[in-house]
Amino acid sequence: MNAEKILEVRGLKKYFEVGRPSLFSRKKESVHAVDDVDLTLRRSEVIALVGESGCGKSTLALLLMGLEDPTDGTILFENGDITHLNDSQRKPLRRKIQMVFQDPYESLNPTQTIEEIVTEPLKVHGLGDAADRAERVRKAMEDAGLKPAGVYLKRYPHELSGGQRQRVVIASALVLEPEVIVADEPVSMLDVSIRAEVINLLADLRVTRQIAVIFITHDLGSVGFFADRVAVMYLGRIVEIGTMLEVLEQPRHPYTKALLSVIPVPNPRLRHERIILQGETPNPINLPSGCRFHPRCPVAVEKCKVDDPALFDLSSSHRAACLLIK
Amino acid sequence: MTELALKKNAPPASSYLLDFWRKLQKNRMGLVGLGMLLSITLAAVFAPVISPYEPSSTADVGAGDIYQPPSAEHLFGTDDAGTDIFTNFIYGSRVSLTVGFFAAFISIVVGGVLGIVAGFFGGRWENFIMRFTDIMLVIPDLPLIVVVVALTKPSLLNIIFVIGLLGWTTTARVVRSQTLAVKSRKFVLRARAIGAGRGHIIWRHVLPLVMPILVVQAVLVVSLAVLNESTLAFLGLSDPTTVSWGQMLNYAFGRGAMSTGAWWALVAPGFGIVWVVLGLTLLGQGLEQVLNPRLDTHHLMPGRPNVGKEAEVQSGATKPVLEVRNLSIDYVSQGKAPAHAIENVSFSLKEGELLGLVGESGCGKTTLMLGLLRLLPQAGQIVNGSVFFGGKNLTMLTEEEMNAVRWSGISIIFQGAMNALNPVRTVGDQIGEAIIKHMPGYPKEKIQGRITELLDLVGIAASHKDSFPHQYSGGMRQRAMIAMALACNPSVVVADEPTTALDVMVQAQILELLAELRRKLGLAVIFVTHDLGVVAEMCDRVLVMYGGVTAEYADVDTVYNDPRHPYTQELLKAFPDLTKPKKKLSSIPGYPPRLDALPPGCRFAPRCPAVFERCRTEQPAIHAIPGGAEHVASCHLVEGVK
Repeated sequence: MNAEKILEVRGLKKYFEVGRPSLFSRKKESVHAVDDVDLTLRRSEVIALVGESGCGKSTLALLLMGLEDPTDGTILFENGDITHLNDSQRKPLRRKIQMVFQDPYESLNPTQTIEEIVTEPLKVHGLGDAADRAERVRKAMEDAGLKPAGVYLKRYPHELSGGQRQRVVIASALVLEPEVIVADEPVSMLDVSIRAEVINLLADLRVTRQIAVIFITHDLGSVGFFADRVAVMYLGRIVEIGTMLEVLEQPRHPYTKALLSVIPVPNPRLRHERIILQGETPNPINLPSGCRFHPRCPVAVEKCKVDDPALFDLSSSHRAACLLIK
Repeated sequence: MTELALKKNAPPASSYLLDFWRKLQKNRMGLVGLGMLLSITLAAVFAPVISPYEPSSTADVGAGDIYQPPSAEHLFGTDDAGTDIFTNFIYGSRVSLTVGFFAAFISIVVGGVLGIVAGFFGGRWENFIMRFTDIMLVIPDLPLIVVVVALTKPSLLNIIFVIGLLGWTTTARVVRSQTLAVKSRKFVLRARAIGAGRGHIIWRHVLPLVMPILVVQAVLVVSLAVLNESTLAFLGLSDPTTVSWGQMLNYAFGRGAMSTGAWWALVAPGFGIVWVVLGLTLLGQGLEQVLNPRLDTHHLMPGRPNVGKEAEVQSGATKPVLEVRNLSIDYVSQGKAPAHAIENVSFSLKEGELLGLVGESGCGKTTLMLGLLRLLPQAGQIVNGSVFFGGKNLTMLTEEEMNAVRWSGISIIFQGAMNALNPVRTVGDQIGEAIIKHMPGYPKEKIQGRITELLDLVGIAASHKDSFPHQYSGGMRQRAMIAMALACNPSVVVADEPTTALDVMVQAQILELLAELRRKLGLAVIFVTHDLGVVAEMCDRVLVMYGGVTAEYADVDTVYNDPRHPYTQELLKAFPDLTKPKKKLSSIPGYPPRLDALPPGCRFAPRCPAVFERCRTEQPAIHAIPGGAEHVASCHLVEGVK
């Protein structure tokens, strides 16, 4: 994996202030949604970003897309700083980084036909004439598995199944010929039998179109076969990152181990001991002292309450943030 | 194959407008309103043709013509000046409708623009616009209109502008909240992600979704404007050179119609106002129903008992808690062939057993579960089969007998705990309600204790008893739903996708809880899910459903390690297995069949990798597979297996 860096994130932070300052209170609290994240994505690489709700993975996606403004840190795209751009500076960039959303029922405008939806990005960017657009739309739709495209063009989203809608969302991203796709839980709303085809589709795109993918999910189980690297997030931080096999087969952070242990294995003969963490992800307003994971950690010791561990190199590609590793 | 099927089933290219018109045609209320409105509009347009006299022609009037009762010559009688009221009535409609339509147009444009700007841009704009709107709303409309009209010259144009410019407030508020709702939808975020500017988003994404509300609002604003105009005219604030209904009322009142008993002078203009306002209101309601189909939801109706059949007797030495035999459920709608949602499904549930019910969306899982409790929508009917519970066939019970079984015999844990809980009542309160409702004789003083006990059972501290659902986390809400399902000590619990929306770790916690409750209380559980992993972890037996029929039914080990139905085999291949990373997932091409377009033979045939000719024409029976365990599969391929 020594392809050129395409997207790089350094020390990225996003704090949301909660509670509008009103006449009666000026107390400011902030949610540490993304707190000091470093990540490098290379050309046609697939990184899976895994974590429970509230870990900051979706905020990270919005930051990468420029749909939220970071509090601190830098985002580099092809070595150019894109952290703070205004709308007109960002517009050419939008062609190169596209997003696929979680809910295919919500992310399509019900009053537009499929043709209008997939053509819209071309119109917004003023690309091509009518004939050229039609050809690009057809190609994007067929690359997204909507074959033959003509059958779908005049339909409305409600006439399609969930899997087909997600393909429309993917087609409308592909039509701009992006280099990076940020996919935020693209299959969590779909049936199991259809999930595989959407995942396979994304996996094929990196081969056919050299697209790099950031695949955001809460389900470690679904990243197995197509992610090159896996990053596990907890409360706004990456707590473990490594190649897919390193993370899935030799997890070092206790949180990763617990997450892996609760993934249901589709074989009753392999029922196994599960590490069930108590409680739920704490509120990111009042972060625990020391290691953020210590209140739920099954192996925490005294120093975990005090020291905040940094990511520790385990190999050239594998890093985990736990005080017990050294 | 799928493409062909797609083409065939495709509804004719439907445009939004056409679709809308088709729906409106079916809406009687809307049509009546539209008719009323059209009739008066046509009368106004063709006034010179319809009315027998010139308007306000008083030239040939003698004293005897004043306040003439209705006659053949003067259909609605005459007024104080001896003019024909019918003529004035027709011409009056011109003024009322003109003022109504134009004033409403101004109101809608102003209110629409302000509402969209406030909702879309937010921040300072919103604050300013909405505070201004609030101030306008506090000032009573009518006195303000009266004052402004009185200060300016009461000409038709002035009246239109004053009514129009003061009538936009509700529109602005309604449009703003709709804009806010649309703005938060994901397709707006998607549009931003492709680089669309604000103008484009408002024009292409917000406006089309605000339009329906704007149309309904427009209709209501027109009726308000008509009323306001009439009121102004009645108070004498109208253009004296034109005739309007309000003015007719004003003259009639002011010039002794009441004292002379000339009721007809009041009835005609009054009727006109009522006719227009009623027509508009009906049209508005009709439009609202058409444009907002959520108002017209299906309600869960208690299903009818399946009477008229010989009472079957439950067989077998070891009686299962629940036994379903050959259950079939149809959805019946007028003018269409019944859709066979469930066909010939059988399974049984022993005490403490956990049955996994697996299938894709639309395979009939939920219909089957609702059918067990006879909670199907109106159109759903049990057409065959029996459900034995506690020695009784549930399909034969009366509604009262069935009510005794629901909740205290069989209860349901619904999916989507946030929607299933009432947001304005405490969780403890809602559990208490379940107890009171389903166990009428339960001693009142013991209820609070029972609630605490139930919450403790599902791992919620008693201190959270008086919290509201929104103060709970997702996992706790699901626990509360489980506590509610356990409230009346049921022996069977149906868990309908209880963990679908939850994170993996919370899902693991809930599954652990269900397993523990099963051990502790000897509960039999039907676990409805599409997650094969969860089933493998939890269940004893598995029923795989496809397109409303049983695909395969066996114990969990057999289903996972010796599946016989191609659908089960394919489904397992599509499920990611962490023990085999790098393995490419296979997907099942195509989509599950629609209930109204079931394939003639095996329902899985169009997607089946092992399909052969017979599958396309003949629906396979459910075959038992020999080998000790109860194992059945409905596939022609297993028929010959001995």
